[in-house]
Amino acid sequence: MVDILVSNFPYLLEGLGVALVLLAALLAVGVALGAAIALLQVYGPRVWWVRWPIFVFERVFRGVPIIILLFLFYYGLSGVYDISSFAAAILGLGFRSAAYQSQIFRSALQSVDVGQMVAARAMGMSKLQAIAFVAVPQGVRYALGPWTNEFSAELKDTSLAYVIGVVELTRQAKYIISSNHGHILVVFAVAAAMYFVVNKIGNSFFYRLEAKYAVPGSERRLFSR
Amino acid sequence: MDSQRVLDVRQMRKTYGDIEILKGISLSLDRGQTKVLIGPSGSGKSTLLNCINYLVPPDDGEVKLNGVIVGDRNLNAMRAKMGFVFQGFNLFAHLTVLDNIRICPMKVKKVSKDEATERAYLELDRVGLKDKAAAYPAQLSGGQQQRVSIARALAMDPTVILFDEPTSALDPELTGEVIRVMKNLADDGMTMLVVSHEMGFARSAADEIIFMEHGVIVEQGPPAMLFSSPQQRRTADFLRVIAEHA
Repeated sequence: MVDILVSNFPYLLEGLGVALVLLAALLAVGVALGAAIALLQVYGPRVWWVRWPIFVFERVFRGVPIIILLFLFYYGLSGVYDISSFAAAILGLGFRSAAYQSQIFRSALQSVDVGQMVAARAMGMSKLQAIAFVAVPQGVRYALGPWTNEFSAELKDTSLAYVIGVVELTRQAKYIISSNHGHILVVFAVAAAMYFVVNKIGNSFFYRLEAKYAVPGSERRLFSR
Repeated sequence: MDSQRVLDVRQMRKTYGDIEILKGISLSLDRGQTKVLIGPSGSGKSTLLNCINYLVPPDDGEVKLNGVIVGDRNLNAMRAKMGFVFQGFNLFAHLTVLDNIRICPMKVKKVSKDEATERAYLELDRVGLKDKAAAYPAQLSGGQQQRVSIARALAMDPTVILFDEPTSALDPELTGEVIRVMKNLADDGMTMLVVSHEMGFARSAADEIIFMEHGVIVEQGPPAMLFSSPQQRRTADFLRVIAEHA
C-alpha cells in the first residue's frame, strides 16, 4: 500500500499542480470580470444597455449548475471552436466565479461610507479619482474576508473539471485507483489531504493579509479572537 | 469693491419632489468675511451649502466664485477652491491624518508630495494636531476628527470654506475645540460661510447672521443688531428657542 502511494505520489503532485494552475486562472478571470461588473453596477451609468447584460450574466452564471456550465463550455463550444478541456474549465469556473465575485465586490463597494465619496468630490476629485483613491482601497479591505471564502470554494470546485476530462488532482487519484485495482480509501484520503492543506495555507495567508491591512482603530477580526 | 467679492450666490432654487427647499436665495461674501446661516431644521441651510458647490445641483440660479460662474465644465476646479467641512467629518477612513490632508492637494492640484507634506504639517499645527499625523481617523475623538477635516480643507488653499453644522455631531465638551479653531480662522481673515447654531461663535466671529426659514432669507444683519433687536417676529421666536436650548 505504501509503495503504491510512494510510486504514484508524483502523479498526485502533478494533478495538484494542474488544479492550482486552473485555480489561479479561474480566479484571475473571476477577479478581473467580477471587479469590472461590480464597478459598473455601483458606479456605472444607469442605462439599460449596461445594466441588462450584466444582470443577465450574473444571474445566469449564479443560477446554473456548474457541471452543466462545464459541459456547455466544453462540448457546446467544441462544435464551433476546438477548445481544450482545460480552457473550457477555466471559462466555466471562471465566469461562474466572476458572477459570485461581482457580488462580493459590489457589496464591499457599497459598504464604503458615502460621505467619504461626497467629501472627495467636494474637494475637487473627479468621480474616477474618488473611486480609485477612496472607494476601491476600502472596498478591497471589506472584500477580503468573503473573498477568502470564494478562494476555498473554487479550490475545491477545481475537482469538478474532472467531468470534462481535465487531468487534475481528483482524476489523477482516480487513474491511480483504476490502474492498481483498489486502495480507493487511501488514495482519495491522500488527495483530500492535499486539498485540505492547500486550503489551510491559502486561508491563513488571506487572514494574515486581512489583519495586516485592517485600518487601525477599526479592526474587526481582532475583537472576535 | 467688486474685486473683494469672493462668493456671489444668485437666485438659488431647489425642489425635491413637490417641496421647494430653496425659493430663490441670494447672498454674497466679500474677502475675509464670515457669515453664519441659522434657521430651523428643514429651512434649507444645508441644501443651500450643497448647492453652492454643486454637490446637489441647483434647479436654477447662479454661483460665482471670484467672478467665475460655477458650472458643469469647471466643477472640479471650482470645488477645489471651495473648502467643505461636513457635520459627519467624512475623513477617509483608510488613510492616516497626514494622508487625509495631502491626498487632495496631490491628486487634484498636482502638488508635489514634499510640498503637500509640508503644507499638511503647517495646517495640522494650525488646528493643534501636529502630533496626530500618523493616527487614523478611527483613533481620534470627534473633535479631533473635525479639526483634521478643517486642516484637510485648509490644505487646498481654498478661497472660501463652507461649514455644514461642523459641531452638531459633537459632544458639548468637544464643541469648544472646534469652535476655537474656526474662530481663529475667521480672525485670520479666512472667508467662511457657516451653518451653525453655536451662538457664541456667531456673536464673536460673524460679520453677518443670515436667518433662513422655509427656503427664504427672512432677515440678515450684523450679530449685534440681529440678536438684540430682530426686525422680524419669526427671527425673534427662533432666537428665543435657540437661547432656551443653549
